[in-house]
Amino acid sequence: MIEFEHVSKTYETHNDENVALDDINIQIDDGEFVFILGHSGAGKSTFLKLIQMEEKPTKGRVIINGQDLTKMKRRKVPYLRRQMGVVFQDFRLIPTMTVYENVAFAMRVTNIPTKKIKSRIPYVLSLVGLEDKMDRLPDELSGGEQQRVAVARALAHGPKLIIADEPTGNIDPEMSLDIMQLFEAINKVNITVVVVTHEHELVHKLARKYNNRVIELANGMVASDTSHPEVARRYAARMAERENGHDDYEDYDDEE
Amino acid sequence: MRFSSFTYLVGQGLHNLRANRLMTFASMGVLTVCMLLIGAAYLLGVNIDAMVEYIGDQNETVVYMDQGASDDQIAAADTAIRSTAHVVGVTYMSPQDVLAVYSDMLSSYTNLQDAFANDNPFYPNYRVVVDSPDNIESVSQQLRQIDGVYQVNAPLEMSKVFVSLQKVVSYACYGIVLVLAIVSIVVINNTIKITVFNRRKEINIMKLVGATNGFIRFPFFVEGVTSGLISAALASGIICGAYYALIRWYAENPSNLSQMFGGQLVPLTNVWFYLVGGFALLGFVLCGIGTATSIRKHLNV
Repeated sequence: MIEFEHVSKTYETHNDENVALDDINIQIDDGEFVFILGHSGAGKSTFLKLIQMEEKPTKGRVIINGQDLTKMKRRKVPYLRRQMGVVFQDFRLIPTMTVYENVAFAMRVTNIPTKKIKSRIPYVLSLVGLEDKMDRLPDELSGGEQQRVAVARALAHGPKLIIADEPTGNIDPEMSLDIMQLFEAINKVNITVVVVTHEHELVHKLARKYNNRVIELANGMVASDTSHPEVARRYAARMAERENGHDDYEDYDDEE
Repeated sequence: MRFSSFTYLVGQGLHNLRANRLMTFASMGVLTVCMLLIGAAYLLGVNIDAMVEYIGDQNETVVYMDQGASDDQIAAADTAIRSTAHVVGVTYMSPQDVLAVYSDMLSSYTNLQDAFANDNPFYPNYRVVVDSPDNIESVSQQLRQIDGVYQVNAPLEMSKVFVSLQKVVSYACYGIVLVLAIVSIVVINNTIKITVFNRRKEINIMKLVGATNGFIRFPFFVEGVTSGLISAALASGIICGAYYALIRWYAENPSNLSQMFGGQLVPLTNVWFYLVGGFALLGFVLCGIGTATSIRKHLNV
């Protein structure tokens, strides 16, 4: 379970501060499939960084599986990250390693015994449909296939939570649907999936079909949440308040 | 850590060593040279120490008694000298003993010999050996206070020169070791930084999939420490061989100067384990520090 309680995150630059998240409250239950939708600058990346503890919130608490990340010690962070699998926009595969080695690498460095690695890899690669391309290098695969390797790597150690950061950002539109459906399939075996993306159309199409929860972020706030319709009204009220409070404030996000 | 993980990480470290071989070669060269210089400084220091000790053992303070000193006075002085602190050897020479020593030299001057036999011009004296050159001055002052002592001749100037030489050499050696230690750390630090830079993508992925810092660091330690130990082995071989050759050359080419210092260098059997052990330790510690300081920055993801 992922809980954000009144979380704010402000990045300090040399003469300015940049509010990335502004008093966010989100709760994602075990087994849910959630799309986090938003334009660039809406706070999506910060949201993910807080979950992985790459950053700490300026205010509020982030709680994952009952562990309060704001109180977590640095040396516990690796063990937190082993509870989740992460898929990135740029795949982050090592180009000099084969498909098999890429998955094995992630398992090795988290201290998994060789025997288990050997038995597990063919299984996870078959889940993503790449069992016959184990010995290929990433460059010999298409973008969609590379991303499936990354998904296999994220699944390899058997996490209960998969996080995907713009997983379709670097692949063809036809393949995008493929990848998203792979996540839907993963969710069917009771793995929590959080997909962060800016592709509105794709999300709405899938969410209607599979009845997924969609949380929209804008201006560092939760703009809407299909599970909690009242959130949208609250957001509208806060935006109105902001408009009135700062008459001369130019709101770039109004164009959307 | 699992054994399979351990072997994997060691393998990764050795792989880095090969993948980065040009830089590894360069850093091992610098390390080896640093170690050779440290070793040379150490051997110089050891030999100067041995020479000073040799000279110190040869020190002989001569205590001359009054010519007309009575037997009682001489016996009392004997006890007093022997009870003085730091005195390790005392030999009494009566005027007759001294004459006996000189009679060989005077064999061609029979007139003089006869004259001396009738009227012995020599003073009865004690040859006193002091435990360390440092103490010669204070001991000779104490000896002057003894009743019936006419004069004390101490090899003060000589001992002072050697003691100060010993000090200068040892400070210079410490300085050399310190400077070269810093150079070695910087060189290893740089080499490992290049490997870390080459593998930054992998390190980033390792961090994100939840590898512990120890796991990420380990191969770099293997790389750094291995190159340190290889350098140590090279330096040990070179310096032991060179020193062995030097010892033989020194023994085969005696000179007045070398004879004065005992005629031989400290034998290899007395120093080789300090050299090998010291190099191994230096390689391990310096490369460990160099590695640790080079990867800290990349671990904060």
